[in-house]
Amino acid sequence: MSILSDMKQRKTGQAGMRTINTLYFYLTEGCNLACRHCWMGPRFDATGNHYPTLPVELFETAIREAKPLGLSGVKLTGGEPLLHPHFTRLLEIVRREELKLTIETNGLLCTPEIAAEIAKSPNRFVSVSIDGTDAATHEWVRGVPGAFEAARQAVRSLVAAGTRPQIIFTVMRSNAGQVDAMVRMAEEQGAASLKFNVVQPTARGEKLHENQETLNIGDLIELGRHVEQELAPKTKLKIFFHYPHAFRALHRIASGDGCSACGIFGILGVIASGHYALCGIGEQVPDLIFGAVGKARLEEVWRENAILKALREGLPERLEGVCGRCLMKGRCLGACIAQNYYSKGSLWAPYWFCEQAEEAGLFPTSRLGTRPTQSPLITIGNAASE
Amino acid sequence: MNQTDRPIANPIVVLREEFDDWAVLFNPDTAEAVGTNPVGVAVWKRMDGKRSIEDIAAEIKNSFEDAPDAAFKEIAAFVNRLAENGFVGLELESK
Repeated sequence: MSILSDMKQRKTGQAGMRTINTLYFYLTEGCNLACRHCWMGPRFDATGNHYPTLPVELFETAIREAKPLGLSGVKLTGGEPLLHPHFTRLLEIVRREELKLTIETNGLLCTPEIAAEIAKSPNRFVSVSIDGTDAATHEWVRGVPGAFEAARQAVRSLVAAGTRPQIIFTVMRSNAGQVDAMVRMAEEQGAASLKFNVVQPTARGEKLHENQETLNIGDLIELGRHVEQELAPKTKLKIFFHYPHAFRALHRIASGDGCSACGIFGILGVIASGHYALCGIGEQVPDLIFGAVGKARLEEVWRENAILKALREGLPERLEGVCGRCLMKGRCLGACIAQNYYSKGSLWAPYWFCEQAEEAGLFPTSRLGTRPTQSPLITIGNAASE
Repeated sequence: MNQTDRPIANPIVVLREEFDDWAVLFNPDTAEAVGTNPVGVAVWKRMDGKRSIEDIAAEIKNSFEDAPDAAFKEIAAFVNRLAENGFVGLELESK
């Protein structure tokens, strides 16, 4: 019987040196889909031959330098990671180094043979993006005919090889009516979990927001509650709605559902150009690139980079706006620092979702609270005589 | 004066009950907060300086069908954690 869910869990001790838990490898600058909501905005590349991919040597170098700093896992993402010309070689390296493997894929290239290679990693997690329960809906989002059946086949291949993936569904105006049906489809497909993502207003996602093809803040909050309170109890699937901690039911947080926290203290990105970056945002925001793999020493980047140091020293206390007043800030850490920086040019800017919710009067008041301002000392004396 | 074993909720702490019967305990003096489940809420409401932890645990066991045998131990730990954070005190003995 868990009684307490401590909201200030990460409040102290953050200025100290952290370990790199996970390197996020954004392996390709191109992608074989053209998704309307993509926060990375890679260029279309059906075969993976046209745009840079991360050289295998740099992949190995980053891992070699990160292991003494505590590295325990890697995430392979893109662009589209399976477009990488030496993808199976990368899998071998991950196995050799005994690292936890996470892959985010659109599934197009996930053949039974690739699924079998992935399954050789004992500690693995794979997510496949599917944004609709029918081809027309999914492919309107993804921009390429045949993408729907390919993604479903990828899930089947992964399951057959012994990896039950997570399906990721990004909600927008065109597919919000399929949320309930998506739970059934994920169950039928044999997925282990289903995550509903919100479109981030970065890169192409920003255009989608501007064109009002995303849900408004009230609809998003309502949908999140529907997923957490009505759909989740009725299915054996683990299902998540990826919105900030302030909107999540306490019992969901206490049960260990760690969605919606920025992993900023334990992750570092490596982008396809061969540079360290805060995360994939480095593809969009050059300020958040921290040095070239193989030229800059990773230990030095991790310990000395001014932005990383500022984040360790400043989070969560320096968060501004509604995030600064939120009781969940010690867990949530501003939800997504990269997104906040992209939107406002400040590491401490509030998260757009929470800001919009507050403006609409929809931010949960039970999750807000600030320390009262101390009264200044009263000066005693006759100022006029001085 | 000596302390009793009767916990008393810090009167400045605000109990904010949420839609799922869980709640946030918020201390406006320190801006610290803890989340608590429905059992914790029931315990909080009984910390009036008159009931002992044992009394509270007995009432909780009668009120919740699925209260485990270890309820007293868990409630005592809960009260202790709140006390460490200044959310709860122990009533003083009256003369």
